[in-house]
Amino acid sequence: MLAYIGRNIALRVVLLFIVSVLIHGLIHLAPGEPSAVDPSNPRMKPQDIAKIRAAFHLDDPLYLQYVYWVRDLARGELKSFKDNQPVLGKIWRRFLNSLPLFICSTLIVWTLAFPVGIQAAIRRGAVFDRSSTLVAYALISFPGFFLSYIMILGVVEVFHVPVIGLRTFGMEGATGAFQFMDRVWHLVLPSLLGALGGIAILSRYVRSQMLEVVSQDYVRTAKAKGLHQDVVIYRHALRNALLPFITMFGLLIPGLVGGSVIFETIFAWPGLGLLGYEAILSRDFPVILTLNVFGAMLTLLGTLVSDVLYGVADPRIRLE
Amino acid sequence: MRLKRWLLLAPLLLTVFLLQSYFWVPTYEKQATGNPKRLVTYIEGSIGDAKVLNPILNADSASSNIVGHVFEGLLDLDENLNLRGRLATKWTLSEKAYLFVSPSNRFPDGTEVSGPRLVNRIRSALQRASFSVLAENVKGMEVVPPTSLTQKIPIQEKGEDGKPKRGEVEITFNMPERVAFSLHQVDQDFFARLMPVIGDRYLENFPYEKFVQFPDGITPEIKAQVRAQLSGIFPVAEHNPIIEFSLRKGVRFHDGHEFDAGDVKFTYEAIMNPNNLSPRTSDFEPIKFVKILDSHKVQVVYKRLFSPAINAWMMGILPEHLLNKKAMQQEMERRELSDAAREAFGMRDSQFNRHPVGSGSYRFVEWQSDEFIHLERFETYWEGPAEYHDFFMRIIPDFFTQEVEFHAGAVDDYSAQPHQVARYKQDAQYQNFSSLGFGYTYIGYNNRRPLLSDPEVRRALGMAINVEEFIKYLLYGEGERITGPYPKNTQWNDPSVAPLPYDPEGAKAILLKLGWETNADGWLEKDGKIFEFNLITNNGNPIRKNIMIIAQNAWKKIGVKCNTQVFEWAVFLKDFVNTAQFDAVVLGWGMGVDPDLFQLWHSSEAGPQQLNFVGYNNPKADDLIVRIRQEYDVARQRDMAHQLHEQIYEDQPYTFLYAPLETKVLDKKIVLVHRGEDGQETYEKIYPTKTGNISYYFKKWRKLEMTPNF
Repeated sequence: MLAYIGRNIALRVVLLFIVSVLIHGLIHLAPGEPSAVDPSNPRMKPQDIAKIRAAFHLDDPLYLQYVYWVRDLARGELKSFKDNQPVLGKIWRRFLNSLPLFICSTLIVWTLAFPVGIQAAIRRGAVFDRSSTLVAYALISFPGFFLSYIMILGVVEVFHVPVIGLRTFGMEGATGAFQFMDRVWHLVLPSLLGALGGIAILSRYVRSQMLEVVSQDYVRTAKAKGLHQDVVIYRHALRNALLPFITMFGLLIPGLVGGSVIFETIFAWPGLGLLGYEAILSRDFPVILTLNVFGAMLTLLGTLVSDVLYGVADPRIRLE
Repeated sequence: MRLKRWLLLAPLLLTVFLLQSYFWVPTYEKQATGNPKRLVTYIEGSIGDAKVLNPILNADSASSNIVGHVFEGLLDLDENLNLRGRLATKWTLSEKAYLFVSPSNRFPDGTEVSGPRLVNRIRSALQRASFSVLAENVKGMEVVPPTSLTQKIPIQEKGEDGKPKRGEVEITFNMPERVAFSLHQVDQDFFARLMPVIGDRYLENFPYEKFVQFPDGITPEIKAQVRAQLSGIFPVAEHNPIIEFSLRKGVRFHDGHEFDAGDVKFTYEAIMNPNNLSPRTSDFEPIKFVKILDSHKVQVVYKRLFSPAINAWMMGILPEHLLNKKAMQQEMERRELSDAAREAFGMRDSQFNRHPVGSGSYRFVEWQSDEFIHLERFETYWEGPAEYHDFFMRIIPDFFTQEVEFHAGAVDDYSAQPHQVARYKQDAQYQNFSSLGFGYTYIGYNNRRPLLSDPEVRRALGMAINVEEFIKYLLYGEGERITGPYPKNTQWNDPSVAPLPYDPEGAKAILLKLGWETNADGWLEKDGKIFEFNLITNNGNPIRKNIMIIAQNAWKKIGVKCNTQVFEWAVFLKDFVNTAQFDAVVLGWGMGVDPDLFQLWHSSEAGPQQLNFVGYNNPKADDLIVRIRQEYDVARQRDMAHQLHEQIYEDQPYTFLYAPLETKVLDKKIVLVHRGEDGQETYEKIYPTKTGNISYYFKKWRKLEMTPNF
């Protein structure tokens, strides 16, 4: 097992290197200049731009720029082009902001999708199954950003409460309980809207997985033994239906970086997604690059975790 | 079945927990729920984040907004746009004037010129009645012995690749004997008044070549370049206006350090230090030197007459003790910078720009990039603490989000668009203000084009356009007509100038008189050519685009053919405006408060990349423009500005359209708070100053719990 993990990590480090080189090349292939050295900015004199370009190593060959990036990142000295702040600190702060949104959204998806999917499977063809199918497809096809705007307008106009950002602005003076609940309230809309698509898709998976398992021989045997319907479904069938979802859990992790760009932008949620979006707009190369590599790292980590989890959960699989 | 129960219970509990949080959140009506501090917190929405919180470095509006609260200048503008003392309590203007004792000249009676002789002659002249104006102004005069100056002169030389390259050459100038005059007041005509004594041509033909020494190995070509500049750098007659500031005593920076004259001198030097790359350099370039007279008195001596230069002192003053060489050295040590980083370290790299310390009414607390900047009132501010305890600038890069947050009560102020303002006017919850700013929109004609070079033609084009229509339909009424180049709310604008009438028939009559007759197709024609030109503007400004279309249509009605086109901003500037390759443009200016129009209207500023791109050229206007910027007496400046306004109106180089109104929407609960001597508070509805500044009394604003009735 340990040998397997070790080998995999080594392999993934090589992969990460290749990915980072590719991303580096891609970013520099994209048109546009970092906003700080934008030649169409009338306030900048050519000699100032030249000075800044030199400081950013923008005129060095690409491979050298890559080396500088790795060196600065390793030393923790990597700075954003935009505001000269250390990139790692920036990403860490934004990561902490994204985390609650991610957790809340995931919780909503997983707690809602399972009961819905199971019920739909049990009552295959009944009204609940059909209506949940309809709703699920409606949610999958409806553009999330549009729904977000409608929800924001609706909630603000009807209830007159703030919904944007990660807390109500100017709440520093409030007592702890108010501040905490205020943060929870601000999680509601973005995490719910971010979760809708997930609920729809995951509940479909659960339903089909359950249907498959329910038609297995051992389920028929359990029923034939005269076990209660609930025992058959929740003890015998569900456990086996769960297996594929364990792997999905690992794959959720990279969603931390890229999963919420749209909702973070709409809700002005200062998380990683918004950081990446703004960095791309201002061609903040160090931030884009580090964030992408971070995302790639999480993806690789996710696949590793799901491989390992699979091995742990399913006795038929042995990792060597 | 436990698992089943949990599977149903978990989503239910999660939903209930999430939704109950609604009851803890403050609503618009009850913003102080669980948070009484909200009433003394002001939150402003901003589209962009600040970049640099340093008054000598910032160049974007978000940064200047914060810098304006944290720092304070020597002066600012009062409610009538006159200068008002802040860190300075008093300022006086005087002048030192210098005149070369020119050996190549003789007095009108033929006597040779020498220093003492010059002084004697002037002294005796001042006794005469005809020189009484001059005599009143002259405080004293003395002969200054010759000195020798070494100075670097900029030149253009040929680089190794044959292309011209900027360089400089160090020369020695043997300054001749001079007479120095101390004057009570700045007088741009001082030397002209002396002419009867010294001779009309005294200022001409100074033999500079006899007084300059070049180092070895200078080519004759470079020497010629230097000689051409000498009369500008070492003028025969020199005006040195002097401003003496008395500084406010007992003012402290937010860290407790006392403000004094050293901070003023340091701020000036920091701007002029080329390492700091300050965008304010040109405002302070006319200064010759800044001298500390005592701890609370500074003297600023200028190189030449340039009255708007005093406005530069509205810029915030930096704390010397936090930014001088020693402080920078300490910062480098603290941050353990590498040698390479130390080499290039300047004020731009200092952490100060993210944690500014000033002497303004609010002190800096925290800056979270792309989120907010938090300021707190400075309790010991010399004018008394502001009413709002906390000030936040929230960065909301999206108009929709800004509006939603405003509706939810999480933003107190944002820049509402004209159509939104029209909507808020219907809502009893808000108070709204519209007032004149310093900008205006115009159609500029290329005065060099033969077709458009006649003022009468431009007048006719202007008369064919109905400006009221623009204001009504494009600006929802949020605009005012203008007639000339000065903002309407300044004293430089002449209110007696009437706007061009909307009179298409009259326009046609003018053009007919000039020989333009309607042809068979309905276009105006003269000598076989129809009246046709191109009107262009930049992309991304829907209002300008609409102006273009409406104007095109209006001109079509009188038989003028106008082709319109929209260009991307960079292309628009580079290919059309900067090179003057256009017939007419729709554009706007944001003006300052001073009456100086040199860059926009003087004929010397009509070259490529310069701002008089329409090529306006009128010697009378040129003369007025120069005299206005050299005049230090406000009343005289105003008279000349009115004349200039009328002159430009006569020439119609632009069709002046309108000045858009600046709008602000606020909750009605925000009021002006007056405190009586016994601490009793009285409230007044917020009102803009006569000149249209809505936030002028911001320090007295506060939000009440209930909407007051006025």
